[in-house]
Amino acid sequence: MSDIVIKAAGWLGPEGFGNDLAGLANWPAPLGEALRRGELEELRWSELFDSEAERFARMDWLSRLGLMAVELLDARFETWDAQDREQTGICVETATGCLTSDAEFLRLPRPTVFTYTLPSTVIGEICIRHRFKGPMLCLMSSGKSTRATIDEAAGWLREGSAKACLCVSCEAVSPDVAALLPPDLALENKWQACALLLGRKSGAPRQHALGKGTLTETCRHLCRAARRC
Amino acid sequence: MEALVEELKNKIIAALSLEDIKPADIKADEPIFGTGLGLDSIDSLELVSMLERDYGILIEEMSVAQKAFASVRTLAEFVAKNRKN
Amino acid sequence: MGASLETTLSQPRAAVAGCGAICATGAGIGTLADALRDNRSALRAREAFAGKRYQTTVAGWVPEETIAQLATHDPEHADAHAFLMADAALQEAGKNLPTAAAGRRALVLSTTKADILAMERVFHRQPCSRTVHRHILPRLLADDLAAAHQVRGPVQCVSAACISGLLALQQGASLIERGAADVVLVAGVDLVSHFVLAGFTSLKSLDAEGCRPFDSRRTGLSLGEGAGAVALVRRDLLPSPVWTIAGWGSSNDANHLTGPSRDGSGLVLAINRALQRAAVATGGIDYLHAHGTGTLYNDNMESLALRTVFGKNVPPCSSSKGIFGHTLGAAGVLETILCLLAARSNTLPGTPRLLERDPVAPQSMLLRPQPATRLRCMLKINSGFGGANAALVLRKDPA
Repeated sequence: MSDIVIKAAGWLGPEGFGNDLAGLANWPAPLGEALRRGELEELRWSELFDSEAERFARMDWLSRLGLMAVELLDARFETWDAQDREQTGICVETATGCLTSDAEFLRLPRPTVFTYTLPSTVIGEICIRHRFKGPMLCLMSSGKSTRATIDEAAGWLREGSAKACLCVSCEAVSPDVAALLPPDLALENKWQACALLLGRKSGAPRQHALGKGTLTETCRHLCRAARRC
Repeated sequence: MEALVEELKNKIIAALSLEDIKPADIKADEPIFGTGLGLDSIDSLELVSMLERDYGILIEEMSVAQKAFASVRTLAEFVAKNRKN
Repeated sequence: MGASLETTLSQPRAAVAGCGAICATGAGIGTLADALRDNRSALRAREAFAGKRYQTTVAGWVPEETIAQLATHDPEHADAHAFLMADAALQEAGKNLPTAAAGRRALVLSTTKADILAMERVFHRQPCSRTVHRHILPRLLADDLAAAHQVRGPVQCVSAACISGLLALQQGASLIERGAADVVLVAGVDLVSHFVLAGFTSLKSLDAEGCRPFDSRRTGLSLGEGAGAVALVRRDLLPSPVWTIAGWGSSNDANHLTGPSRDGSGLVLAINRALQRAAVATGGIDYLHAHGTGTLYNDNMESLALRTVFGKNVPPCSSSKGIFGHTLGAAGVLETILCLLAARSNTLPGTPRLLERDPVAPQSMLLRPQPATRLRCMLKINSGFGGANAALVLRKDPA
């Protein structure tokens, strides 16, 4: 697997957020109160980023988390040309999927909520924002993070189906979600999101070897300079 | 009618999650769609859904909705005429 | 299209060994083959769902007696309809497969809402067995199906809107190509429910009478439910000839969440990727099964995408959503099965409920079935919410 490398990593969860750059002392946006408290429902885009995210308020938490994890990547997508974006793929893994939106829709059926009652909508949001048109896949897991997205992405890169690939894991866990699940199911009860940018080994300065860990393990390991809340 | 216009402005903001918009930002006689609010086809469906929920008005053809959405004032007149609650 | 380095599959290793289906036509691929031969729609209204202000209750409902029979034979899963249907389809597909150790058997499930009926019951605090409560999580439905079918190899659960089925077939083929499994059971399942009827009603995208794909007077789609299953086996374990999964591709429109990209460019990308991987030229496709939902937008976009890829030579094509509706997570699998049934009877499928072809639709869109002169290579395509597109190439081996 040494021909495939990690070019960037990012994560966020109740304990904080971070990416694989050493040191976040000069993080552009002021660290907001909501992130300090670790509450999902109070996260705001502007607490983390100076950039705009027009549709953020209209999205559900699964899409918001995915978008934020990708935004944390130090990848400078805005400098990528159209062809590179066309060949950037994305593979998402989630266990709880869109249950928050399912609960909201059951409470009150509305068209905007309905569009988020699919776990793969987060892929649509990420691709709309960054104009990625590569292969896409959304895998449902049973709770623990796995290596599935990394293995798929590595396969795509190796066979040339994509030139770059995002591996994303999102869990939008809320009390609504807990209420729908069977009581004996032991799922991670914390919300979180991780993203890795994978590519082929090149001469670029910052690349990390692909270890053997799961998506979340790999991400957390690389983001050691995480900002603690 | 003015009270209904204000009420509708608030409902539009809530239904479409227009976080940074205040009622004063929406002009009663300007088109709801095709302005700087950045609304799309799903948003017009969302408003149709709101009309049914809050005023009991069932719209089956989107062409009826499009006429009603010409402006907030037009919408207020439409609601006043057709409301069941 | 930019330069692509797509690896081509010169000798595809994933071959179809069996199919199974439960849908509006009833239980078994035989019921589907009959509907195909007769060009017949199985869409119908449903009294039990009337009075709720849905645009319509006309959908591809699985017959109540079919479900009742399945429940009688499997009381433990009597209220687990998604499981019952997928399990039945898998049983039919899994007959007469070459033996493989459990560790070499894999399962890939495709679904958008898993057992949505269970979620509704839980939400409304109605009784719900523990068995089906698990199936609110799509992956647990996949795990239970895997356990019921002697699968100890890889298990995957794909949930990517309406392209899930094709992605599941792609994943199944991929598992065989890279040597991770010798037998892969691929199943797609989804149920029609209040949840989904309410959702599509709120988008005003249902046709009150029933969908008319590519018809000039079409007004929307029809939902459908059911399960399709395809057993993929390593090619060398089967006697010739076989149908192989020769190529696949997917893409995102990166444009809008529910409306397809106006120019169809996303679907074009997916098709070209699949053709490239299969090393087949556009002229090599003998039949194309469209997504063809019957909405104004989809069928327009798809027509444009096909013109872009095939120019004036769009292959003979059709849509079968007029038979069993848009079965969401099951669509890619059921519609692929329909392609295989067509090949078996050497018949090009018609498009049930299409009466008057829209002028923008391909001229080669068939209203009624026709004998096929040549069926060696087929293309299946689907598009879905979130800008998703997928394409799959099926090729007979040997031709």
